[in-house]
Amino acid sequence: MTPAEKPPDGLREFADNLKAAPRHIYETAFRSGTPATDRTRSTFIFGNVFLHLHSVRVHRWTLRWSTTMGLGIMTTSAFLITLITGVMLMFYYKPFPEAAYDSMKDIHFVVPTGRFIRNIHRWAANVMVVAVILHMTRAFFTASYRKPREYNWLIGLGLLVVTLGLSFTGYLLPWDQLAYWAITIGANIAQSPREVTDAIGITQWFDPGGIQKLLLLGSDVVGPEALIRFYLLHVMLLPLALGALMGVHFWRIRKDGGLARPSDADARLGPPPAGTYPVFTEAPQRTYQLAAVVKGRTPAVNNGPENTVPSMPHLFYAELGVFMLTVLICLALALISDAPLKELANPSVPENPAKAPWYFLGLQELVSFSAFMGGIGVPAIVLLGLGLIPYLDREKEGTGQWFGGPGGWPLVRRSILLGLGSTLLVETLVIRFGWLREWFPHIPQLIITAINPATILTTIYALYSLWLIRRHHSTRAGAMGLFTCFLCGFLVLTIIGTYFRGPNWVFYWSPGDWPKH
Amino acid sequence: MSKNKYLLLLSSLGALALLIAAAVNEHFMKEWRRIQNVAVSDEGPVEVRLRQVINPGLKVTDRCVSCHVTMGAGEGSVRGAKVLAPHKAVSHDPAEYGCTVCHGGQGLATDKAESHGDVHFWPEPMLPSHYSYAGCGTCHAPLRVPQRESYQRAVSAFERLDCYACHRVEGRGGTIRPDGGGMEGPDLSKAGLAGYDREWYPKHVEKMQKEPLKAWKMSFSAVNDEDRQLLDVFLSTCVGASRLVEAKAMFNTAGCLGCHKVSGVGGDSGPDLSRAGYKDPGLADFSHVSGPATLANWQAEHLRSPLSIVLGSQMPSLGLSDRDIEQLVLYTLSLRRRDLPISYVPKDRMRALRFGEREFSTDGATVYGTFCAGCHGLAGSGLRSAGLASFPSIANPDLLERVSDEFLKNTIQHGRPGRRMPAWGDMASGLRPEEILSVIDYLRSLSGVKQKPDRTPPRWVKADSASGRALFASTCAGCHGAQGEGGEAPALNNQVLLASATDTYLIETIGRGRRGTVMQGFLDPSPARRTLAGAEIESVVAFIRTWEKKQP
Amino acid sequence: MSTTTTPPPSRLDPEPVPRRDVLGLAAMASAAGACLLALAGLLRLPKAAVLSSPSKKFKAVLPENLAAGEAFVPAGRSVALFRDAEGVYAISTVCTHLGCIIKPNAEGFECPCHGSKFQSDGSVKRGPAPRALPWLKVSHTGGNWIVDEGAPVPPGTKVQA
Repeated sequence: MTPAEKPPDGLREFADNLKAAPRHIYETAFRSGTPATDRTRSTFIFGNVFLHLHSVRVHRWTLRWSTTMGLGIMTTSAFLITLITGVMLMFYYKPFPEAAYDSMKDIHFVVPTGRFIRNIHRWAANVMVVAVILHMTRAFFTASYRKPREYNWLIGLGLLVVTLGLSFTGYLLPWDQLAYWAITIGANIAQSPREVTDAIGITQWFDPGGIQKLLLLGSDVVGPEALIRFYLLHVMLLPLALGALMGVHFWRIRKDGGLARPSDADARLGPPPAGTYPVFTEAPQRTYQLAAVVKGRTPAVNNGPENTVPSMPHLFYAELGVFMLTVLICLALALISDAPLKELANPSVPENPAKAPWYFLGLQELVSFSAFMGGIGVPAIVLLGLGLIPYLDREKEGTGQWFGGPGGWPLVRRSILLGLGSTLLVETLVIRFGWLREWFPHIPQLIITAINPATILTTIYALYSLWLIRRHHSTRAGAMGLFTCFLCGFLVLTIIGTYFRGPNWVFYWSPGDWPKH
Repeated sequence: MSKNKYLLLLSSLGALALLIAAAVNEHFMKEWRRIQNVAVSDEGPVEVRLRQVINPGLKVTDRCVSCHVTMGAGEGSVRGAKVLAPHKAVSHDPAEYGCTVCHGGQGLATDKAESHGDVHFWPEPMLPSHYSYAGCGTCHAPLRVPQRESYQRAVSAFERLDCYACHRVEGRGGTIRPDGGGMEGPDLSKAGLAGYDREWYPKHVEKMQKEPLKAWKMSFSAVNDEDRQLLDVFLSTCVGASRLVEAKAMFNTAGCLGCHKVSGVGGDSGPDLSRAGYKDPGLADFSHVSGPATLANWQAEHLRSPLSIVLGSQMPSLGLSDRDIEQLVLYTLSLRRRDLPISYVPKDRMRALRFGEREFSTDGATVYGTFCAGCHGLAGSGLRSAGLASFPSIANPDLLERVSDEFLKNTIQHGRPGRRMPAWGDMASGLRPEEILSVIDYLRSLSGVKQKPDRTPPRWVKADSASGRALFASTCAGCHGAQGEGGEAPALNNQVLLASATDTYLIETIGRGRRGTVMQGFLDPSPARRTLAGAEIESVVAFIRTWEKKQP
Repeated sequence: MSTTTTPPPSRLDPEPVPRRDVLGLAAMASAAGACLLALAGLLRLPKAAVLSSPSKKFKAVLPENLAAGEAFVPAGRSVALFRDAEGVYAISTVCTHLGCIIKPNAEGFECPCHGSKFQSDGSVKRGPAPRALPWLKVSHTGGNWIVDEGAPVPPGTKVQA
């Protein structure tokens, strides 16, 4: 060792490392550096645990506003907003009957920003329900559920159910009259299989309705046990389920080869507009291969990444844009209108009318004839039908196009007329003339369970759909008719339940006509 | 693809603007902030923050003091806005007891309309300031309150004997000693609540005799027994809330407990009033009520004309004056008793709850006023109103002359089964034996009539009931019903009546009638209907007796 | 001689990124601004504006036969009240070390948590407590003793009825 080669100054090195530590922390966290090139943009995405659910490149068709209308992102954004605001509300919420109501009052009156955050939470939840329904409608009418996206459609249905479950469980938490009675009705709908088991006299041995209600409430009435169960479902089990399903849903979009697009998408898009980042045109030899695991290729194979742009930044501008738009909508609604909080729940004075959240009012309208058919039977049939659609419609025509398939928009237009007309007609008849029980007071319940507006409408829609399948020689045509009819029925019944039903579930032209107690 | 960037830009700017609007709203627009911003105390401007009074025992969290800052603990000197007027001196410090316990309203709220409870979903709006004494009823039950006339006599006795010269009651009267030694006599505002020396009179006399001062000799002189009783009535009702006591005296005059229960005492015909002051105005029917949709107004309009507010109401219209109605409304609103932790139960309520003391004075006039006057009238002259069976005139001298006290006692005790008169002595919510006796004494004093001595045995009529049947059908059945089941007139087949009525009583009543009622004497010649001879009356009585169930 | 034909761009090459994407930057900046403001609002929420503890001021009823120097602790409160010839005074019984409730004894006060000991006037005798126990404001109004746990007074302040 020569004197010139002084041993490194340990302290100086220590100081240098200390000085460089912040930079090193940043560099080790974001390895790829500035996303400036195609390569760094790609690593930006697959190097990030939150972003890697996206595909690295995205087809230009996907970015057209008319392809998705941003509804999926809007649903996700609304969920994120409810998640954040919901966690904030948990700082103050106490899940025990009267304390719950008092803590809602605290949130409303004295918690800093509490009222605004609660309003946002409520409105974002509503936006989420609307967006998830519209998103499903979009996916259906663009025939995006078809191969290879059948399974993701099923995941989407699961997400719809969990979303409604989240809204429903959140409805009880304020513990006011509105909450208490809506949940009481909901719990008794869960019990409504008894309508059938009672009628055939087997409730004593086989009572699925009673078990459902007991599981939901933890008791025979809505009380502290029910509140803590709903709280658990609302803040933990359902959000976890939703998060997991969302992960699968997004990941499957990538694995299923991006969003569905028409086979002639490239031709219809034309050359990219000037001033955008260059579109990737160099056809690679291999893509997304299951390298060295098994033989064969993933579903995306044979679809080269032609006419794609990097997700970073093109997709992210779109996603962020929709996110901020959703934020804007929720903020505006929250500023305009306070979330309701009525009187403290009073088990001895029923709220009249006791209305569930608006998206269940269509069901509540059907429930007013037969609790089982309206509340469980028809919804189960609808869910089953929705789940089967991608496995029954194995056609190719019109994938990725609005109203794609035989019949197209004219068929949908006719179905809208039929759906609205038949629902309005049946409702008009039952509102004007009553139903079987009014005519034959001693009629067996089983007959009403079997024949009521819910089953009649379902039958009309189903027969119409079968006729369409026969006429167009196409399952897709039948599915479009059926879906449109159910959508219209949902719309009409929800509007009637929301605006035209008053105390004792009597029909009124406007709330101004309601008798005052 | 720049349209996505525009979307992002515009949405973000919009969100930013709304967030700023929300922040401004939160920080500058709140009413309590604007009040506290201009408020100053002796130490300078007050700290701007939410304030509240918490009393865990009473389950009170009242944020009223965020605007009414002066009513919070140690903030008495704050001034600067109209709502900062200090609370008037009361024995319950609002900083300790909170506000909503007495005034109602929504303590958790911090906005004016919502905290005053003027929102349709808050079941307990603030009591109107006009009726704020009703708030005492949350915890207190004023005891020993007599009926109105007795109360007014007691009040005027205190005034007439010039007790105000030395004593102060609710801010009135009293003399400051010239030498600065305080008041001449103690303040008696709460004598009834805190208790007072029962031996006050001998002590006053003794002091007067010993006292060399001229003032004593001038201002105090002997008080007779009757006045001393009146003064005792006055003192025992001094609870610091004379308006509430006055209202209760009215309640004890209108006979409300004849049909309604309060704290488990009273009749069954009407709704229980124990918590009438908590009735949710949001659940009351205002469709036939003129004026504001407040509980007070509903009660007032209902008292004025029950049938026009509540369809099919059996409550008679009592012909009350506006002042009567106001007092009854005040008392009804004060029926808002809350369950309290034991350490907060006041003495008066404890006496009623645990020691069996009545919530009304138990002299005959008050018991009559509280239980009987609603149906039988304040003067005992009965009540006839269209559509309802009439109530008999029970202070009628003809009646009282012919019946024994035993008859009256049986009637009050066992009632008239099947009719509207309840069995006051037999039901748990009814009257105690000594109260029944005091009512009988009161009835006798009301008419000034004692029973005429009657030396006949209770049952002596031996006439033929068959001829009585025909006579009854032609002469009596029109009013008393074919089977004596009653109609416009009282029922005669009633077992309690038949058991306690003597033959002489029945014969006298049929023969001589009851003056001042529809029942005219059948011995008197009348152009309107047939007269009955003595023997005929006896046969009618024999027929009436056939309804009596034989004692086993 | 060579022709200067530009080779087709490869996906490995850096792409010609526009130097100034003003629109994109403005959009990102406003989004970031909105999110930060929202975050600020959200973070304000956990700091409670009102506390749920009852009023610090309370009415105390002193036992008639309270000997001089003997402590009286009203139920549910952490204050020791004393009465001697000079008047009534109150000393906090919350340890100035870490907030345990200390017990009055014959010599003064003793903390069960970390062994702090105080003289009967509240000054520290031994142990980790950094400060003397504060004396609290006592007032006499309307025949009642009012103690304010939130208002310390100089040691030695005694109030006559």
